[in-house]
Amino acid sequence: MSMKRYFVGDIPRRKFLELSLKGGAVLVAAPSMMSLLSCKGIPPEKEVLTVGKDILDKTISKALEKGGEFADVYMEHRISREILLEENKFKSGVYGISQGAGVRVISGDKTGFAYTDEVTEEKLLNAAQVASYVADESKSVQPINIESEERPSYITVEVPLGEVADQKRLDVMNRANQAALDYDPKIKMVSVSYYDEVRGRTIANSQGLYLSDELPLMFFIVQTLGAGNNTRHMGRERLSKHMGFEMFDQYKPEDVARKAARESVDMLEAEDCPAGMMDVVMQNGWGGVLVHEAVGHPLEADNIAKKIGAFTGKLGQKVASDVFTMVDDGSIPNMRGTTNFDDEGTQMKRNVLINNGVLEKYLTDILSGKQISMERTGNGRRQTFRHIPIPRMTNTFIDKGSDKPEDILSSTKQGLYVQSLSGGSVNPTTGVFNFTCREAYLIEDGKKTVPVKGATLIGNCIDIISNIDAVGDDLAFGPGICGKGGQACEVSAGQPTVRIRRINVGGSRARS
Amino acid sequence: MEKKELSESLVKKCLEKGADSSEVFIESSRNLSVEVRNGDIETVQEASSSGVGFRVLKNKAMAFSYSNDMSEKALENTLTRAVSFAESTTPDEYNVLPSEKGETTVQGLYDPELAKVSMDEKIKMAKQVEELAMQDKRITKSGGSGFSESEREIFLTNSNGLSKSYKTTVCSFGVYVVAEKGEQKSSGGEYCNRRFYKDLKSPQEVAEKAAKDAYKMLDPRMVKTQKADVIFDPDVASAILAGVRSAVNGERVLQGASFLGDKIDQRIGSELITIIDDGTRAKGLGSQPFDGEGVPTQKRMIVENGVLKGFMYNTIVAKRAGQKSTGNASRGGYRSIPGIGPHNFYMANGDTPPQEIIKSTKKGLWLKGVTGYGINPVNGHFSGGASGFWIENGQVVFPVKGLTFAGTAFDMLNHMDVVGNDLDLNRSFTAPTFRIKNMQIGGE
Repeated sequence: MSMKRYFVGDIPRRKFLELSLKGGAVLVAAPSMMSLLSCKGIPPEKEVLTVGKDILDKTISKALEKGGEFADVYMEHRISREILLEENKFKSGVYGISQGAGVRVISGDKTGFAYTDEVTEEKLLNAAQVASYVADESKSVQPINIESEERPSYITVEVPLGEVADQKRLDVMNRANQAALDYDPKIKMVSVSYYDEVRGRTIANSQGLYLSDELPLMFFIVQTLGAGNNTRHMGRERLSKHMGFEMFDQYKPEDVARKAARESVDMLEAEDCPAGMMDVVMQNGWGGVLVHEAVGHPLEADNIAKKIGAFTGKLGQKVASDVFTMVDDGSIPNMRGTTNFDDEGTQMKRNVLINNGVLEKYLTDILSGKQISMERTGNGRRQTFRHIPIPRMTNTFIDKGSDKPEDILSSTKQGLYVQSLSGGSVNPTTGVFNFTCREAYLIEDGKKTVPVKGATLIGNCIDIISNIDAVGDDLAFGPGICGKGGQACEVSAGQPTVRIRRINVGGSRARS
Repeated sequence: MEKKELSESLVKKCLEKGADSSEVFIESSRNLSVEVRNGDIETVQEASSSGVGFRVLKNKAMAFSYSNDMSEKALENTLTRAVSFAESTTPDEYNVLPSEKGETTVQGLYDPELAKVSMDEKIKMAKQVEELAMQDKRITKSGGSGFSESEREIFLTNSNGLSKSYKTTVCSFGVYVVAEKGEQKSSGGEYCNRRFYKDLKSPQEVAEKAAKDAYKMLDPRMVKTQKADVIFDPDVASAILAGVRSAVNGERVLQGASFLGDKIDQRIGSELITIIDDGTRAKGLGSQPFDGEGVPTQKRMIVENGVLKGFMYNTIVAKRAGQKSTGNASRGGYRSIPGIGPHNFYMANGDTPPQEIIKSTKKGLWLKGVTGYGINPVNGHFSGGASGFWIENGQVVFPVKGLTFAGTAFDMLNHMDVVGNDLDLNRSFTAPTFRIKNMQIGGE
C-alpha cells in the first residue's frame, strides 16, 4: 500500500527486535560461512543449502517467459541471536533461523514479486511464475547466463559471530549493566539488549550478475531509567557495526552504559522548554538523522520518478546554503549502513548528493534509476527476501566544514543546543519534518545552560538546509533503524556540529 | 503431518531434549498485494510462508528460538538451540507458562470468501479508488493506490495441555494523492482495513477523504505562539492513546517506568474519559480468541470516568505482580517473543456531535495531523508537531501547518472538556473527537 511513512528512531525495544528479525533465506557456501558450522555440542549452526547456478538461470528464464526486461533472484539466510538483560536478570534469549528467496520481474514501470521460504527448484520456479504475472509480452529480453564475480569488501571480521560462546555475550552485557548501576544511585533500572546476526546473500539477475557474500551485524543498546527530582528519564545509548565480536575490543560496553546513565541523570533536572522560532545548534553525531529525514528521504529516487518528491526537478539547482554538502556512502568500513554491494548487487560507493548547496544526485535503485535515467548509486535495499528492493540510505551525513564547534556555540546568542535526538519523520512530498529531542539545553549568551524537556523541532526540508550557516570540523556518526514503506533497515546518520537559524521549537511554555 | 499434531509432537520433543516445560507457536500466512499508479499496475506481490517459534523453560530459565525451515531436522535443531540457550538465561520463579484451557468466542475473524474474490476485482478496486481520488482538479499527482490482503493461521500448544488454534483474514485498500498549487505541495492518504471483504468502504468514500485531506491543506498559514484549545480528530487519537497504552503495560509499571505506575484506582483525568481494551469484539481488527500465549481474551476497563482501573499483563508479569493474566500477551508472529500489548484499545463515546465541538470553540486548533512520539510513557511529557485547521468563533478560518504543541499527560487528561459521539470501532486503536482546553501552541 502506498501510505508513505518514514521514521527513524525510538522504536520500543520489542518492536525493534521484531523489525530487526524479519527475515531470511538460503544459500550458499562462502568459505567464511563454513566456520559457522563448528559449534560445540549442538547440531551445526546451519544447513548449508546450495542452489546450483543452473537452477538460478532457469528461474530467471522462467521469470522472463511472459516478457519483461529484467529479473532477479535474491536468496538470504540469516542466523540471529538476541539476549535481554533487564532488572539484573537475563530475561530471555532468542535464537533465530530464517531463510528464503524472492524473485522479481520488471516490465516497464511494473514490478512483479513473489517469495518462498523453501529454496528448492520447484518453489523458485513457482515464485518466478507468480512474479511474471505483470510482464508485458510486447517487450522481452534474453537473459544473460550468470557468472560469479568478486567484489571488494568493506566489512572485515576478526572474531566471527558463529564462533563466539554465549558466555562472552553475557559478559559484555553484565559489564554494561554494572557500569550503569555504578554510575549514580539515581539509576533505578537498566536494560541491556544485545543482538547479532549473520546474513548470507546471493543475488543473480538477467544481466548476468551472480554475487554472494555474508554480512555480520551487531547491535548493542543500553537503556537506563533515572529517577529523582520528582520525575523520571529513560536514557539510551546504542552501538552498532557490521563487524565481528571484536567490536567490543574497540568500544567498551561500560562506555556505552555510562553515556546512557549520564543522560538519565542529567535530564532529571530538565525544565520546561520554551515554544517558538529559535536558532538551534546541533551537536555532532546522531543529530545527522535530521538531514537523513529532512533531506535524505526526499532525495530517494522512487518519489522523484513519481514526480511527487519535494526535490523533483531541482537537479543542478542551488537548494542549500554554500556551506552545506551532504553525502551518502555505503562503503565506509564496517559501519552500520555499510554493505559490499546493495541488495540488487550494485557496488557501494561514496555519493555526493548536495555539493556546496547544489543538488547533484538522487539515491537510486535499479528501477528508479532506469525511470529517471540516472546511474545506479547502490541504494537498492530490502529488509528481507520477503520485501522488494526500494531506494534507501546507507551512511548519510553532512560533510565536515571548517568551523570550530566551540565557536559555533559561543557565537549563538540565544537558542537551543540539541545534544541528541530521539528520531523523527518526514513527509517526502511536502518536505515537512519533525524531530523529538532526547537531550537539549538552552543557549544563553553563547553558553549551554539548563537542560529542557523533550522538545520537538519542526520545519520544511528546503528551508532548513538554506538556513544552515555554520558547519563544524568534527564529523561523527550514530547508528539507527530507518523505516520506509513497511521495511526497516540499518543505517548510520552523521554530521559535524552545525547551526540552523530559526527552527520552530515545540515547548510547553511561552518564551520569557 | 497436520499442524496441530506437529505442534503437539514438537512440545514433547522439547521436553525430551531437556526442557521442563515448552510452548510451540506455528504460524502460516498468505499475503497478496497490488499497487497501482496512474491507472496501471505498478507492483504485484504474492506469497505464502510459515514458521515455528519455540519457548522453553529449564530450571525456571527461559529461552526462545524460531525457524521458517519446516523440515524435521531443522525444527529439531532449532528447538535444541532454545533448550541450550536456557542454560544462559537467569532462573526466575515467575517464569511459568499459562494453563488456562478456555477460549473466548469471537465472531467474524475469518472471511472464507476473501480468497475467492478474483484478482481482477481487487485490481479494479485499486484502480477505481485512484481514479476517483484524482477527479478533483486540485489533485495533480497520484502517489499510488493499492489493495492488499492476508490470511493467517495460528497453532499454539504448550506442555500444560493447551492446544488451540484460530484463523484470521484482513483486507485493505487505499490511495495517496498530492494537491499542488504553484510551488506548494500537500498530500493526503486514506485507507480502509476490514476482516471481511464485503465490509470494505466504498472506493468513493476512501477517495474523497484522501483528496480532501490533500487539497484542504493548501494555502496554510502560521499562527502566533499562544495558548489555545485543541480539538483532536479521530485520525490523531493515538497522540494521546499510545502513551496511555504503554504506561499501563504491567511490566513497565513494575519497573517504575510508567507515569501511571502509582495511580491505580485514582483519578488521572476528566470524568469524560473512559478507555477500554477489548479482545472480544466481533470482526475487530485487534480481536483474538486467545492472546499470544494462549490465555483467553477479555473486554476490560482501563480508565473508567477518569479513574485508572487496570494494567495489562501477560502470564509471567501477572505472576510477578500478584495478579492474573489479563489476556494481553502480544505476539507479532512466530519470530516474536510474547510481550504485553492491547487488542482493540479505544476511548468510549461521549455524547456531543463533533460539529458542535467545533462550533463551541472560540479560538483553537482542530488537529488533523500529529507527528512525534506522543506522550512519553516514562514521565508523561508530551511534545509534537501539528497540522490542521484554525478555528475562530466556532468557524474554520484557514489551514495551519508546521505548528508545535506540548504539555504533560496529566494536564491534557484533566483538561479534556468535551468528547464527541463519532467513535468508529472499525479501527482497533481509536477515539471519538475530543477537545483539550488551553494547550501551549508554538508558531511564529
